[in-house]
Amino acid sequence: MALATLVVAGFCTAFAALLVVAERYLLNYGQCKITVNEGARRLDVKGGSTLLASLMGEGIFIPSACGGKGTCAYCKVKVLDGGGPVVPTEEPLLTPQELADNVRISCQVKVRNDISVAIPEELFNVREYTATVERIRDLTYDIKELRLKLIDPPEISFTPGQYVQLQAPPYGDNPDSVYRAYSISSPPSDESHVELIIRLVPGGICTTWVFTVLKEGMEVKFNGPHGRFRLTASDRAMVWIAGGSGMAPFWCMVRHLREKNIARACRYFFGAVAQRDLFLTGELAGLSKELGWFQFIPALSGKDQSQWSGERGLITEVVDRHVPCPDSAEAYLCGSPGMIDASIKVLQAKGFGEKDIYFDKFA
Amino acid sequence: MKQTPQEQQIAARMAPGVLSREGFLDGDRRALAEIIDTDRSAVESAGLTGEQLADGLEAVLKAAMAAMGREVAVGGWTARYREAMGRIPCPWGGCGVFPKGEVEMTQPTGGGVLRFTPLSVHLIRRHSFYQGRGTRYRLEPLVLARALGMI
Repeated sequence: MALATLVVAGFCTAFAALLVVAERYLLNYGQCKITVNEGARRLDVKGGSTLLASLMGEGIFIPSACGGKGTCAYCKVKVLDGGGPVVPTEEPLLTPQELADNVRISCQVKVRNDISVAIPEELFNVREYTATVERIRDLTYDIKELRLKLIDPPEISFTPGQYVQLQAPPYGDNPDSVYRAYSISSPPSDESHVELIIRLVPGGICTTWVFTVLKEGMEVKFNGPHGRFRLTASDRAMVWIAGGSGMAPFWCMVRHLREKNIARACRYFFGAVAQRDLFLTGELAGLSKELGWFQFIPALSGKDQSQWSGERGLITEVVDRHVPCPDSAEAYLCGSPGMIDASIKVLQAKGFGEKDIYFDKFA
Repeated sequence: MKQTPQEQQIAARMAPGVLSREGFLDGDRRALAEIIDTDRSAVESAGLTGEQLADGLEAVLKAAMAAMGREVAVGGWTARYREAMGRIPCPWGGCGVFPKGEVEMTQPTGGGVLRFTPLSVHLIRRHSFYQGRGTRYRLEPLVLARALGMI
């Protein structure tokens, strides 16, 4: 019985391998046409690749965290025609509504014939950039700031709050390139540079590369800008709440507002455990003094912070103490899911409406 | 132990550099099914289920996450959540993505240290997988059960 099972399993494995080899080397799907957004773009691609790879090859960068392995479910695209049936690896990643709306996991869809897709217009502006690392600065013991000088294209245009996907090339035991998302911390006026604030993730492929391999002068690649986390165009007062590398979009935003002379009342709450977790405090305290409309409020939640004369407690407790009824204020949050969920509860208890709270979870 | 094509695919996703730098197996040369079966037997021998261990671990995770970086007391241990940007998918695929932060549980008296992630809770609950020996997030089932006060 065991032998029979082994024989069947072995046969199935060999047959599956044969099919993969045959598809890769023998099948020729020829040239296929990808119609994007009802003809806004028409792409001629070689059939046989995934939809994600085909679009990337034509300069349309769909966000993807797992590098096309069909596990992260970030690379969703609406396939209007020609995508074939949903494959078993896609089904668990799609909601019933998405299935009904013809949303597909683009790294799992093979381009075998002409295909028609709909993607958000903003992805047309995403480009791949080559840059050199101009400076690496330690902001804390586990947070670094990268300053990248753009080479090709030499300039970037983005909205404060947007992010880029940095490519970590193969290194050490890591055989493949991976992309990871980081908010841009430099202001858009510095068109020839991009700055990123990166915290070391234990076991993280990209952050370990940044912390142990990447050196000043090296060349890197990234694509972007991505994302819809941005300030509204209103003049309403703002509450900003962040922790850790959630600092990045706000460090970009406050400098952008200053440069544009946009004096929107703003209280920026930044939570950390200990003083060694704080960074850019001198610069932000300076802006607090310089700008009448901006107030930076760092807070520490650790027990043994006897040298600290600032705010104490969880950032949610500090927000609760300092933020009055919202009147017509907006709140912007960036940080861990736990911090954001807890902050939303506090803000809603104060009367902030759901539509007045904008957030960028570490995701 | 012979692996099915599906197990081979999952094990390939567990290799270093695919989903995480160190992967989920490290130097553990056993087949995935063998790792799972061995740990499941250990849990059952203690009169427990993976579901119970996952419930206990999830309670620690929630308490640590709510403390936003501060230490919380959990039985005779302390736990601290260290946030991290990004999400990691389950190597089985199709189970969704999980925050990358980690919880470090330390035993002030005995010096024990356990580390786990939100994904660890899912791997135990859904797949009875406690990760390969030698990995950063390996949880020995009986050590875990003792830490959670279940045995």
